[in-house]
Amino acid sequence: MNAIVLTDRLTATPAAPCDPVLSIADVSVRFGDVVAVDKLSLTVRRGEFVSLLGPSGCGKSTLLKAIAGLVSLTGGQIQRSDSDLRVGFMFQKPLLLPWRSTLDNALLPIEIQRGGNVVDAVERRNALRMLDLVRLGDFAKAYPHQLSGGMQQRAALARALMCDPDILLLDEPFGALDELTRDTLNEELIRIWQSKQTRLNTVLMVTHSIPEAVTMSDRVVVLSKRPASLIEDVGVTGARPRAPEDGDTAAIIRRIRMMVRSER
Amino acid sequence: MTSRVLPPLAFGLVLLVAWQAIVTVLQIPEYLLPSPTAILATVDRSLAASFTVTFIEALAGFLIASVLAFAVATLFVRFHTLEEGLFPIAIAVKTTPIVAIAPLLVIWLGTGWWSKIVAAILICFFPVLVNTVKGLKAADAEYRELFETLGATQAQEFRKLRVPYCLPYLFSALKISSSLAVVGAIVGEFVGATKGLGYLIMISSAHLETATLFSAIFAAAVAGTAMFYVISFTERRLIFWSSGEAD
Repeated sequence: MNAIVLTDRLTATPAAPCDPVLSIADVSVRFGDVVAVDKLSLTVRRGEFVSLLGPSGCGKSTLLKAIAGLVSLTGGQIQRSDSDLRVGFMFQKPLLLPWRSTLDNALLPIEIQRGGNVVDAVERRNALRMLDLVRLGDFAKAYPHQLSGGMQQRAALARALMCDPDILLLDEPFGALDELTRDTLNEELIRIWQSKQTRLNTVLMVTHSIPEAVTMSDRVVVLSKRPASLIEDVGVTGARPRAPEDGDTAAIIRRIRMMVRSER
Repeated sequence: MTSRVLPPLAFGLVLLVAWQAIVTVLQIPEYLLPSPTAILATVDRSLAASFTVTFIEALAGFLIASVLAFAVATLFVRFHTLEEGLFPIAIAVKTTPIVAIAPLLVIWLGTGWWSKIVAAILICFFPVLVNTVKGLKAADAEYRELFETLGATQAQEFRKLRVPYCLPYLFSALKISSSLAVVGAIVGEFVGATKGLGYLIMISSAHLETATLFSAIFAAAVAGTAMFYVISFTERRLIFWSSGEAD
């Protein structure tokens, strides 16, 4: 087990750094007659962990994909703080290439950036370090079919981190996993976000689990059912790790649950 | 390995012994059904020469067809209009029996190698084309989104995603067309040839040399089977990640 230095940068009350990384203004996305996102505005600030919470099919994934540039907007605009901002994306499925080892899967973003197949020793070491970070160091040579679902998703996380992103967009990253594995991976994600081993400082995560959103995030953005529009932006304070049973956390979970229920 | 080879070998041996016994006991004339020993006696250098000719024709046709089909499939996937326009024509050519086309090939290309090679190409081309087009499109939309988020160019997506994803589909077609290649070569030889297994089959049947006919038939089966197993073996080595058949 390698030692990872945890900083308490965000375990205490964040110093309210208010430089926006992403400014989403009046964004609409339409597919034919279906309105997926309707005039949604949202600002994500540097250092924040923000959850987009909403029912299945509400358009929250579409919004995330729009931010990543996978879906084009029908209205509004999305601004990044600077053009150099690096964005990493992680899907619900691991989407590992089955013919590549874990290490070679992690190196895929580098190969694509370089435009060749040759990856130098520095990058190879960097990828191994990233696999260590997601605790897959011993499985660098394993192929995806030899990994469990949770390990595959760890590998996908390592691959997303290989782009050295400032901000990570996560689309229900551990939604397909069992609850125990999911809890573990959520903790790991928080650990990596808090550690200074990567550039990563901002996370925007789509989820439909209220406890998950509240225990992990600084802010929970509650969205309506389709078309996705903002119901409320709930700030969460309190030191991590948080348990859903804890007084404050439980109260916020209850509040959001009421909010979502009255919406139906 | 031995457990997979041994049972069919044992059964084959039993069948051969039974065949020999029946022919001997019932005194079946050799022009109707020759005994295995009589067939074995016809295995000589000229059979080997015929086998080599047919095998080379089939192999050449198979290789050329595979390369061509892969290239055309790539163009089809890249340029959708090309696929829309040409695919129906390809299907029409495919449904025309090779036996009907073979005489034309002999008129155009003569009785030498090329009429047989082209017959083998025609018969091998379509299974590979159809499956390769399917395989090149088989990668999930999500994989393509992944490559998009990584900023991959179309060429990178093709090389690093679509081609490897297509391999199981390609090999599944290659296995089919490898045995078909032998059919194409022999059909070509039926129509007009001076050598090869097809020629040997025609001549020996006309002369009622049934034992030779049998050995030629077996040689044709060996040619097809050999190609099939070489490809199967390569497939298992190359595509370690996919256990199922993709077709």
